[in-house]
Amino acid sequence: MGKYLGLDKVSRFFEILKQNGGIRASLSKIYRTDELKFGTLIGEDKYGNKYYENKMYFYGRNRWVDYNNKLMLDYDGSQVPAEWFGWLHYKTDVPPNKDPTRVNYPWMADHTENLSGTSGAYMPYSTVPPKIQAWVPPKPKSS
Amino acid sequence: MILPKPLYNRTEKHSQIRLATFSTAGKVGENRSSHILSQFQNVARSPASRASGTQAPEKVEVFIDDKSVMVDPGTTVLQAAALAGIEIPRFCYHERLAIAGNCRMCLVEVEKSPKPVAACAMPVMKGWRIKTNSDMTRKAREGVMEFLLVNHPLDCPICDQGGECDLQDQSMAFGSDRSRFTDISYDGKRAVEDKDIGPLVKTIMTRCIHCTRCIRFASEVAGIDDLGTTGRGSDMQIGTYVEKMFLSELSGNIIDLCPVGALTSKPYSFTARPWETRKTDSVDVLDALGSNIVVSTRTGEVLRILPRLNEDINEEWLSDKSRFACDGLKRQRLVTPMLKNSKGELVSVEWEDALISVAKALKSAPGDQIAAIAGGLVDAEALISLKDLLNRLGSESLNTEETFPLDGSGTDLRSNYLLNNKIAGIEEADLVLLVGSNPRYEAPLLNSRLRKGYLHHELDIAVIGPKIDLNYEYELLGDSGDVLKQLASGQHPFSKKLAAAKRPMLILGSEQLKREDGAAILSLCQQIAHSASSGAPAEWKVLNILQKVASQVAALDLGYTPGVAKIRANPPKVLFLLGADEGTITRADLPKDAFIIYQGHHGDAGASIADAVLPGAAYTEKQATYVNTEGRAQETLVAVTAPGMAREDWKIIRALSEIVGARLPYDNLDEIRNRLEEVSPNLVRYGEAEEANFVAQARELSKLVKGGVSSTPLDVRLKKLEDFFMTDSISRASPTMAKCVQAVIKQREAKIATKRVWTAKVEE
Repeated sequence: MGKYLGLDKVSRFFEILKQNGGIRASLSKIYRTDELKFGTLIGEDKYGNKYYENKMYFYGRNRWVDYNNKLMLDYDGSQVPAEWFGWLHYKTDVPPNKDPTRVNYPWMADHTENLSGTSGAYMPYSTVPPKIQAWVPPKPKSS
Repeated sequence: MILPKPLYNRTEKHSQIRLATFSTAGKVGENRSSHILSQFQNVARSPASRASGTQAPEKVEVFIDDKSVMVDPGTTVLQAAALAGIEIPRFCYHERLAIAGNCRMCLVEVEKSPKPVAACAMPVMKGWRIKTNSDMTRKAREGVMEFLLVNHPLDCPICDQGGECDLQDQSMAFGSDRSRFTDISYDGKRAVEDKDIGPLVKTIMTRCIHCTRCIRFASEVAGIDDLGTTGRGSDMQIGTYVEKMFLSELSGNIIDLCPVGALTSKPYSFTARPWETRKTDSVDVLDALGSNIVVSTRTGEVLRILPRLNEDINEEWLSDKSRFACDGLKRQRLVTPMLKNSKGELVSVEWEDALISVAKALKSAPGDQIAAIAGGLVDAEALISLKDLLNRLGSESLNTEETFPLDGSGTDLRSNYLLNNKIAGIEEADLVLLVGSNPRYEAPLLNSRLRKGYLHHELDIAVIGPKIDLNYEYELLGDSGDVLKQLASGQHPFSKKLAAAKRPMLILGSEQLKREDGAAILSLCQQIAHSASSGAPAEWKVLNILQKVASQVAALDLGYTPGVAKIRANPPKVLFLLGADEGTITRADLPKDAFIIYQGHHGDAGASIADAVLPGAAYTEKQATYVNTEGRAQETLVAVTAPGMAREDWKIIRALSEIVGARLPYDNLDEIRNRLEEVSPNLVRYGEAEEANFVAQARELSKLVKGGVSSTPLDVRLKKLEDFFMTDSISRASPTMAKCVQAVIKQREAKIATKRVWTAKVEE
């Protein structure tokens, strides 16, 4: 009955507000991500990103990541570590935190985000000698 | 298209004499009669005056592939075919060299002749029917090509000539379509040891097909009989017999002449293929002749420079400095603007900072405390924009590094500072008097013209100046200024010769005008020229000045003051050096707090004394106007972009004018050229040498010159080959030129050492 009157929408609205931590937090979430969703918390990675699933949304939108609040607007896709990437993109349905078969060797490198545009960006160096040799001014005589 | 000149007295006998001369280890004697005997040259500008004396000979009719052609008697089959528009393949024949007739590639069938004849050496007879595409001709060519290829290595993939090789092209066009090479077990092709003939020309003698073009070039054009042949038949070798350098200022041309890859460019070896490069037509600025060049570039890098045909200037030759100094364009370059910091070191800055502090310096000084010096490689656009800018700031002190006397009519009349009779005019002259100039190193291609006149047009040459090796015989009149006085008053024994000459020329080296008595020398030369011109036609100009740098004529046309005497007399607070690198003004000549701005492309003498450095573009990097010593305006084109933050010179000055607050009224090349035209219309008439007049008025005014010629000997700076290679900021930065200097000195020392050993042995 309530469904026909659209009352479930109203209750879902409050549920979303509640899950996102109240009105202020929800507004901040909209500001950061331009959308407000609710779902089951599947897990959290070591960087503080949270992964949610809600089958109510259609396929492709029903798994998502909520980046660490600390990042504010400086989040991007490369901050998702490789193991969660697989789950997020439906390569597997088993979330990495619930997968005992996932290997974890001490020598495995930590995940790094894409550093393009920052001072840590990868810059290849040229192995070709410069075509033009610039003039180096002679040092002034110490007087 | 070079129209062939008929060969009047050529017979087969003569060519045999020449062949014999070549096979005697390349010592074609400095004997003019043998050269006159071989009047072979196809001179593009055949002197009309000489021909006018005799009646034009009747033409004979010959048939080339059944096409009728009327030719002068004595024309060779090859030249007649060229007139009919048919090119006969050749290796040894070259328009500007003697006919050798030894490659046999030009064999053609002549009707009723039992054997094919060598087209390059055979004069046509009346009614001959020549077949350039008959079975016999084609078979003969195939046979010759097969013999050439028997001993030619199959190293085209690693050969520098690949892609521009006459043998490659002609074997494709005229060779057999299949090989009879069955020597699978391989008992060896002919192999010849490579010769070391210096740092410019690389030799791979196994590839040589014995066309002897290099030998003929060396003995005829370059005037050096170092190259020759030894041995006979398949043992024949081209070389210098004893290992020595090919000491010539024109040695690079034998690379162009070589039809195969036997002589290639050493600095350019294994660098690029001709189809990979972009070719830009341009003009050389390393001497005052303005030789026409082609700049080959790839990926923004100048790889090599080749000559471009211009009958009026360089024919098809190029001097070694112009050809090989291009690697200097990649070294010692100014790539960023620089300013002196508090420690007195030049540091790189942004354009904005550099222009603002230069503008501040210019604004802080009163107009009469600002001066400029223009160097030898500067283009007319930069000269006019700098002049306009400084004039707007109230300064009239715009000077050039090269000096010219201002007494008399000074630089007001163009005929005073031009090579009035043109470079090609030398071929028509019958007597040339060189005054205080060494054209061999100041303008090598002018010297090769003189030698051409000497060999082929009965030109006599006399020299006032030091005894120098000019690679032709000349009469040395002494090096004292007194000789000039005697000539002017007609007391010298040579005066009679001068007066009797029909077309005399006096070439005065611009170097002499630097002397204290430069004005008097010029004045005397004008008087000598006047007295000598009595027998010459009215349009013939006797007085010629040979400038040493490319920018000088344009600078004088634009109204620059020659010489830096004004700056010495009145040291400015702000000095603008526009490519001035000869060190004519040093810090010591200026007040302590003087601000020096250097604008140019190389870090040399100018940049090292500067407070601010503005990086400009070299001649391969800008579209710019240069005027050569004849007064011929020519333009360079952009072959590569200027490196780093360097910009075209006039644009820098235009930007500076905006900041100084004296905006120059031109924003693009067309507008600045309109301005050039306003000042001097000849500057934008490209390719034309503007005639200069008022010779008589200049002479009259020169009589006002006070003071006589001192008796100090007339000297020239460039005396030996090692002086020739490094004369400006580009060639000083070039490692190849440095190698050349080293090699010449080494060769000279080795020669002295052997001489010492021999004299010691004789004394024992």
